Amino acid sequence: MQADDLAALATDERFRLLKSRFRRLALTLVGAFLGWYFLYIALSAFARDFMALPAIGHVNVALLLGVLQFVSTFVLAWRYTRYARRMLDPLSAELRDEAGQRQAERDRERRILAERHRIENWTRR
Amino acid sequence: MTIGLFAVFIVITLGVTIWARVNTKGTDDFYAGGRGFSGPQNGLALAGDYMSAASFLGIAGIIALSGYDGFLYSIGFLVAWLLTLLLVELMRNAGRFTMADVLSYRVGKRPRVRTAAAVSTVTVSVFYLVAQMVGAGALVGLLLGIHPGETFMGISPEAAKVITILAVGMMMIFYVSYGGMKGTTWVQIIKAVLLMAGTTVLTVLVLGRFGFNPSEMLGAADARSGQPGDFLNPGLRYAKEADGIIGKLDFVSLAVALVLGTAGLPHIVGRFFTVPDARAARTSVNWAIGLVGAFYLMTLALGFGATALVGQAAITAQDPSGNTAALQLAQAVGTQVAGPLGGEILLAFIGAVAFATILAVVSGLVLASSTSLAHDFFGHVLMLGKPKESQEVAVARFSAFVIGVFAVFLAVVVRDMNVAFLVALAFAMAASANLPAIVLSLFWRRFNSTGVVCGIYGGLIGSITLVALSPVMSGGPRSLLPPPVDFHVFPLENPGLVSIPFAFLCAVIGTLLSREKADPERYSELSLRALTGAGAHGPQSTP
Repeated sequence: MQADDLAALATDERFRLLKSRFRRLALTLVGAFLGWYFLYIALSAFARDFMALPAIGHVNVALLLGVLQFVSTFVLAWRYTRYARRMLDPLSAELRDEAGQRQAERDRERRILAERHRIENWTRR
Repeated sequence: MTIGLFAVFIVITLGVTIWARVNTKGTDDFYAGGRGFSGPQNGLALAGDYMSAASFLGIAGIIALSGYDGFLYSIGFLVAWLLTLLLVELMRNAGRFTMADVLSYRVGKRPRVRTAAAVSTVTVSVFYLVAQMVGAGALVGLLLGIHPGETFMGISPEAAKVITILAVGMMMIFYVSYGGMKGTTWVQIIKAVLLMAGTTVLTVLVLGRFGFNPSEMLGAADARSGQPGDFLNPGLRYAKEADGIIGKLDFVSLAVALVLGTAGLPHIVGRFFTVPDARAARTSVNWAIGLVGAFYLMTLALGFGATALVGQAAITAQDPSGNTAALQLAQAVGTQVAGPLGGEILLAFIGAVAFATILAVVSGLVLASSTSLAHDFFGHVLMLGKPKESQEVAVARFSAFVIGVFAVFLAVVVRDMNVAFLVALAFAMAASANLPAIVLSLFWRRFNSTGVVCGIYGGLIGSITLVALSPVMSGGPRSLLPPPVDFHVFPLENPGLVSIPFAFLCAVIGTLLSREKADPERYSELSLRALTGAGAHGPQSTP
């Protein structure tokens, strides 16, 4: 990609918005799942009495929280995907199309230039 | 009968591989399956690559013997996929075939970045590969029911081990070098479907024995576990109270490596590039999360069900580490539901699924490392990025052969050692060597090639050194080297807790100390491309 095209897109307001949205989304997701996972690991290592408490029938707190880890993983993946689809995909598609158009324009210019050269060389001969 | 069912699997997958060969023409086909797989197809293949025999038989066995503590593995293995979900689109957009494509995007044609990435990819893959193959050798005796001292059709258990490792090696080399990514992906898809079907059938039958009431199953498992009252609580296997704070840190260290390693596993990363675009890549990871999650939830039923229906005494009698628990469960449940013949049929089916699982996972690993050797090392380092496509594919086929033979050789040599730690080590190495380089490349403007190289080698050498100096190697109750030898200075068996921060530190210090200027323009280009997919390699990308 041409440097000035790139610079134009990179400083584009929409790209900044896309970047900041992605950054916020990524930090939220990583914070949420790593925090919750390590809390659970810490409980398993250091809060054994709490984890051994009975919850439902023979299911104790440890097993219940473990199954909740599965549930939270599914929910987070679903929420992430929904957010990305609504807030990120339209922006990125717009920018991608624009980049593609600019690229196509450059290619066309280059083709015309090459053709002109060819004709000039031919007439000179 | 197991062998018969397995033979059917082999015949079908060989057919698919030969079909794939006919349709494999260039590098896009060989490395990335032509980028023509749909999200759900690739999701199945991702799950197939990920769910190894170690998780199918191993985790069921750990749960059957250690109860709750086995379940912790399942959770780490699943939660890790959220990180993968976050990185998959960026990497799909930025890269072409391998992790090194992403790492070297910003730093241009610097061979040392490619070399480092290839070294790390091959090392992680080979460690994982050897662990899987030794596991396969140990399994076959159990699957065929050969006990030490007996023979099976005139074959001793020791010979059966070697023969199995050789046979598995030959099959995987064939799948990869002949079928490339297309063939291997179909093998993974078939295997994933079989594995999910097998575990679902088994889970439904097991839960059916307890009126579909999991609590009742847990109660029965607790009663027949040999440790009633403690079986469902944390601490039977990991971070035992007797081991004190070191044991607990070791446990946290394992958990860190499991959750951060997946996104850096080479055979998982290589799969990101088999789909047409980033959206399909996201879909495929979502499919993988669904499948892997369902699978690991079912391992709960397999593990606790085995304890409840087979009993811990019977499980340890057949194999002290519990690897046959799922198979014994299949036989027991089949017998209870449909008589002895039912037991035999279910056992044969689950046994064949286990074989298919091993074969598929080792093929994925060989493909990842031969891709990296051919594309990164041969294509970009030796040929300076200008090899002929046909040349590169030929090298990739040949590399698959070399790596396969090397892994077979290693596996035969160490076949009697307890190499289960290699799987955890491979995850720790992937998390230490690959993850920091990937994350910093994508998100740190200042990062440069010295940083990449320092991060990769720091993580790789750091984690291997720590394990070599740990009780895994010497001075512990289960060490590789016999008792008088003791040179352990690092107390933890799992290096992740130290080696991952160490690798990040190496990458940062390497960047700051080198005089090399980062190229802000390339960084903008990378983030533009990673986030929007502008200029990404599409389904019909030109080389």
